[in-house]
Amino acid sequence: MSKKLANQLTAIRIALTAMLTAVVVVFTLIVRVPTPIKGYISLCDVAIVFSAYMFGPWVGFIAGGLGTGIADLLGGYAQWAPLSFIIHGLQGLVIALIARKKVVAKIPADASILRMVIAGVVGMVVMTGGYYLAGGVLYGFKAALSEVALNAMQSGVGVVVGIIVSKAVLKAYPPVRALAF
Amino acid sequence: MVTTSLYIAGRGFLYKFDPRAKLFTLLALTLLLFLGSNHASLWLLNLAVFLLALYSTNFKQSLQPLKTIIFLVIIMILFVPLTYRDGTVVIKIGNFTVATKEALFNLNLLVARFLGITYMATLFIWTTKMVDIQLALRWYGLSYSGTLIVTLAFRFIPSVADSFQMIQDAHLLRSASDSTSSKRRIVDVVPTVTAALVVALKSIPYMAMSLEHRGFGRDNKRGSYRYLDPQFGLWLHFLIAVVVIGVAYFAFNIF
Repeated sequence: MSKKLANQLTAIRIALTAMLTAVVVVFTLIVRVPTPIKGYISLCDVAIVFSAYMFGPWVGFIAGGLGTGIADLLGGYAQWAPLSFIIHGLQGLVIALIARKKVVAKIPADASILRMVIAGVVGMVVMTGGYYLAGGVLYGFKAALSEVALNAMQSGVGVVVGIIVSKAVLKAYPPVRALAF
Repeated sequence: MVTTSLYIAGRGFLYKFDPRAKLFTLLALTLLLFLGSNHASLWLLNLAVFLLALYSTNFKQSLQPLKTIIFLVIIMILFVPLTYRDGTVVIKIGNFTVATKEALFNLNLLVARFLGITYMATLFIWTTKMVDIQLALRWYGLSYSGTLIVTLAFRFIPSVADSFQMIQDAHLLRSASDSTSSKRRIVDVVPTVTAALVVALKSIPYMAMSLEHRGFGRDNKRGSYRYLDPQFGLWLHFLIAVVVIGVAYFAFNIF
């Protein structure tokens, strides 16, 4: 590969990762869906799942971890930023690694729906379990249990909407395939 | 609207303290909070951090971190006593043990620790500009590309938020019924999110091109990151940080 092409690819990758990080921040901070119990869930998981399905493990890890970490800093929950970076980063990484197995073009969104769901569920367990462990250390395991259901619901919505959105984006904007690595 | 910084213009030495030394102090004190189990020292540290927040900002602002975690503190008060059932009973209703001595001991420890971490992290964000945090991370070894990703992400947060808002408004305009209802918003989520993502993805090649135009990838780099230059030298700031951490360590372990 020529040096110029390598530089172009690196520039694209940096631009892609930065843009998806910004998308994760925005989806965490301003995109909120009302729940039946008069609460809100954020769509950060949709953005993380989308990044992982479309662009693979590293973009999933960096955009997911960095995006939620920055969102915590900007949202007034700075104490959660390092934990969010690790937990959501791992969530993105795991989802992409499982989903893209046996996929020829290395675009996880090309995998079967079943594989994408399995990957999403494993990511959900990583996220919910990660926050449960972190919460348990910070404020007790019984108290941390109270958050598990809401985190699981948010992550579950993220997986379902993430799969639909990934397929929709692949149809609406086919050149996106060229950005995956 | 999305804000990209929580920096509050205030007064006090925390604003003059070097971000690198401040970050080091924050991490070390957080570690100490986990290692220490002396309640009096923990609350003393919390009081000191609260007074610092009060001095740096104002009374209303200094209560803000408490407001963000008050719900969790209530959850802790409700659930932590259920974790520790054995030991000396302190509060009892009929045959039901509400709290034991061990439960209250651990509740006090967890609340003090969580409050301390929350206040210290928030104070760090309030008194340090976001750009200085990025430069501090760069000094600690974050790669050139990594720092570039962070700075570009901050640059694009407002535009992604604006485009999402515009797409959402456009979708709401199409609805003839009650356009602001929750049901309508849920139905609109998938098309809105898809459109917002396509808009964001379409701008990536242009961003990559502008990076190349600005000299990214060339051997003779045209730009570099600013160097943080603290008053009286960086190592003096680190020395102060070590003294603060040492005093906290002494308080946690000796008293």
